[in-house]
Amino acid sequence: MEPDLNFGWTSTVGNVILGATKSEGGTRSKSYTLGGGTTLPFMEKDLSFPAPLIAFEICDDPRYWSPIVNDFCGDLVNDPGAWAKTAETAYGADLVRLCLTSTKQRDFSDIPAIGKTVESVLAATTLPLVIEGSNEPKIDSEVFLKCGETGQGEKLLLGTAEAGRYRSIAAAALAYNHSIIAQSPIDINLAKQLNILLKEIGVTRDHIVIDPYTGALGYGFEYSYSAMERIRFSALKGDTDLAMPQICAPSDSLTVKEVREAEGPARDSMAIEWEFTTSLAAAVAGAEIVCVRHPDTVKRLKAAFAGLSARTEV
Amino acid sequence: MSDVTLARKTGNEQLKKNIAKLSGEFSYEETAYHLPVSYALTGTAVHTPAAAAEVFAKTADNPLVAAECILAGETAAAGKEPAPYTGFISDTVLRKLGYSLVDGSILGLALIVGSPKSAESAAAICRELQEKYMLTFLSGGVVPTLSEAGVKLGLDYRLIPLGSKPLHSVHFVDIVTRVAMMFGGVAPGDIHRLLAYAAERAKAIVIVFPGLSDEDIAFVDGMRVLGFPILTLGGYEGGDWVPAAPEEVVRKGMDLKGIRVTVTAIPIPMACSPAFEGKSIRKEEMQVEFGGGRSPAFELLRMKNPGEIEDGKVTVIGPEIDAMKEGGAYPLGIIIDVTGKTMKKDYEPVLERRIHNFINYGEGSWHVAQRDLIWVRISKEAYAKGVKVEHLGKLLASKFRMDFPQLLDAVSVTLITDPEKVLAAKKEAEEIYAERDARIKGMRDNDVDTYYSCTLCQTFAPNHVCVITPERPALCGAISWLDGKIAYEISPSGANQPVEKGALINAQNGEFEGVNRFVKKASHGEIERCSLYSVMEFPMTCCGCFEAIALMLPEVNGIMVVNREYKGMTPSGMTFSTLAGTIGGGAQTPGFAGISKNYILSDRFLQGEGGIERLVWMPAQLKEELKSRLVPLLESKGHPDLFDKIADETTAATIEDLTEYLTRVGHPALAMKPLM
Repeated sequence: MEPDLNFGWTSTVGNVILGATKSEGGTRSKSYTLGGGTTLPFMEKDLSFPAPLIAFEICDDPRYWSPIVNDFCGDLVNDPGAWAKTAETAYGADLVRLCLTSTKQRDFSDIPAIGKTVESVLAATTLPLVIEGSNEPKIDSEVFLKCGETGQGEKLLLGTAEAGRYRSIAAAALAYNHSIIAQSPIDINLAKQLNILLKEIGVTRDHIVIDPYTGALGYGFEYSYSAMERIRFSALKGDTDLAMPQICAPSDSLTVKEVREAEGPARDSMAIEWEFTTSLAAAVAGAEIVCVRHPDTVKRLKAAFAGLSARTEV
Repeated sequence: MSDVTLARKTGNEQLKKNIAKLSGEFSYEETAYHLPVSYALTGTAVHTPAAAAEVFAKTADNPLVAAECILAGETAAAGKEPAPYTGFISDTVLRKLGYSLVDGSILGLALIVGSPKSAESAAAICRELQEKYMLTFLSGGVVPTLSEAGVKLGLDYRLIPLGSKPLHSVHFVDIVTRVAMMFGGVAPGDIHRLLAYAAERAKAIVIVFPGLSDEDIAFVDGMRVLGFPILTLGGYEGGDWVPAAPEEVVRKGMDLKGIRVTVTAIPIPMACSPAFEGKSIRKEEMQVEFGGGRSPAFELLRMKNPGEIEDGKVTVIGPEIDAMKEGGAYPLGIIIDVTGKTMKKDYEPVLERRIHNFINYGEGSWHVAQRDLIWVRISKEAYAKGVKVEHLGKLLASKFRMDFPQLLDAVSVTLITDPEKVLAAKKEAEEIYAERDARIKGMRDNDVDTYYSCTLCQTFAPNHVCVITPERPALCGAISWLDGKIAYEISPSGANQPVEKGALINAQNGEFEGVNRFVKKASHGEIERCSLYSVMEFPMTCCGCFEAIALMLPEVNGIMVVNREYKGMTPSGMTFSTLAGTIGGGAQTPGFAGISKNYILSDRFLQGEGGIERLVWMPAQLKEELKSRLVPLLESKGHPDLFDKIADETTAATIEDLTEYLTRVGHPALAMKPLM
């Protein structure tokens, strides 16, 4: 007998739209509608339900990036535009996530440069874009204003809002109609609270993607998994303050001891293995976007998601 | 001197005449909102005199609509005013301004209209607005006055000259209405939401200098509908305009609108962070101390009426620290006065408890106990860095404002070190403590229809739900019913939510339909029933923070209690930590309940099991701690000798010892109805 995969749930995960095509006022080749899930991931009756999206992460200052990825990608890491294009055409990513690591420099103030970087990436790839803004609260206001303004019409996903630090990013979302990533430290109640704070400031729930914070596999991922699962349950049970799609970025995977200490050819395979396994687990727990940094992880995830989505009766 | 009420009347008539005289077409460039005020109020795009007349009639002759249409007509006929005047501000610029408002880099908006008599006082007002992160718009005679006095104007200086005539202040209103539509999700024509947004979200104030015509007065007065306070510096009387002196007008306006300058740094010569909270200052590290039984000291937080106190003011009455001997004990009175639109007298004790945390946040300051039992120390190290008594006040004033930005508008602190004055003020404080105690004491579960939940611990005990009643504090002992109520009022979406009691199911066990409903939902469907007063049947879930555990001992037909501090073995054969591990994590374990120590003194304690007569064993230390309150309580219940009949580890270490002891002393539990 086929088990009932609905468990009496009455609600669905809310929708968030990423990216805007020409007819929608932007310049992307496609847009994605996240959410809509009625049960646990990969268990939808409708087999055409979309698999999780894979975002390939790039940065604008490789000094703050994993040396494994830098070595693998070569000169591309010095040209965010070309890197983004490669992510689309060669790596096979669904989304590009641009991390503005240049803002990590001490006393960073070159805001116009950020605008240029965002412009060049938007011009180089036709994929919808996720932008990780400032790393320093002092410049949040200027950085997010610049990102929001430059990407006006493109329905970006901007990151990352936290409980003590969400106003600038919310302002950019409101002013230029983007969505935002709301991150809480592996805690369902704090996730909910942040969503409520965002709601109070005027960000509607169809513009919020929850980042429950992703620990690396073997380094605390089980906590993330549990928080994600509970967020998903709450959404399905009708808690509208938690009924948003989730995003996971297992970037910590590239800094775990096993990956750091691997040498020679094992380095890449260890990095991929760690990133892949953590991302896959995150997708199974409910992530609708997983963000990875090693190009070869993208292909492996694609294959795994295809297998899970095309499940057949046993 | 213009009478606002009279002027408004003639002004409105004049506006009505002028709107009828409109001709030609008019529109602003670079906006998707047409004439924004008219569009926001009615959803109609006005570009012609006919549409203007229609909207004016539709809004019951609204003076803001009239003024907007008239100005648009004039601008279309005469063209835009030359720089520095901005005239109508485009959507693109507005988006940036709105961004700064949401983002918090601008705290609010101010409009200054009219012709100041003195350039100096107008400049001073502008400077104060700049310092307080307000974005200020100017219209009328004030612009040339400021320019001539050398004040720099423009967006970069947060002083925006809208136009040469008071009528140009209409642009101030069109900005607010566009912000409501762009950022507040207000649909054009949804007048209800627009007004709500303007009143609650738009942090705007209006400052009026003399020289307004009747029409000007009529439409400026029309802004009151949007909830903007209108302050006048003279020249007007009557109506609802608030007179103010130049040096207080900004503060008064911001107070009236509830705009608060956020405190980010505390101006004291020592670090201040929760990281230092647990650090104590030992005798040899101490420069001076206050209270702790060595000298009289007290603390008191009082609510005052808005405007009665000056925000951030710290006063020290008596000698400063440099006049005190090293290692000495001196008297101290800490009086904190607060105001806030949503502040209530009931919140005083809850906020007062925060003094303890805040003083301990200081790297070189330390605080224990409460009310007139406080004990405060300042370290030698802090003294060497220049910390004075005054800085405790600065720390408190800043921290209260930082931690309760929604609740408190102003905080001032008075620190008394003069011995005579401390004693006098302490006497007054003690009267206030007594009043407060009287308010809470005697409150019964039956007196209220609503209890409060606490799900703070769901972070680690996912399905745990505490239900807090007047007679049963949270099991951690830290949150009373009143605290829960206040926490809910302060933060309506927080961890303390109201629980409607609903219909009674079982009076003895304290089971209610509403409580069950709430617990089921808040426990994510895990817990179906919850008895508030029973250990045996459907007891409350336990997180892990309980001060003590009550558990049944079937062998003696009684209940024992063990507190967290007791490390030894109990007659149950388990230590506190073993027990805690067994029952915690959000589970419901019949026969076991996590409780606060104070709950032992409640009339509801063990009600489901027949009352406190069931209590057979407690650690000696806990018995001693409760003795002064427990003995009279037991006496009042007709058991003057029960206290001694309750065993402890010295009289009964094992269950065998306990059975023998209870039989010997004739403990009432032995004869009660069987527990199982």
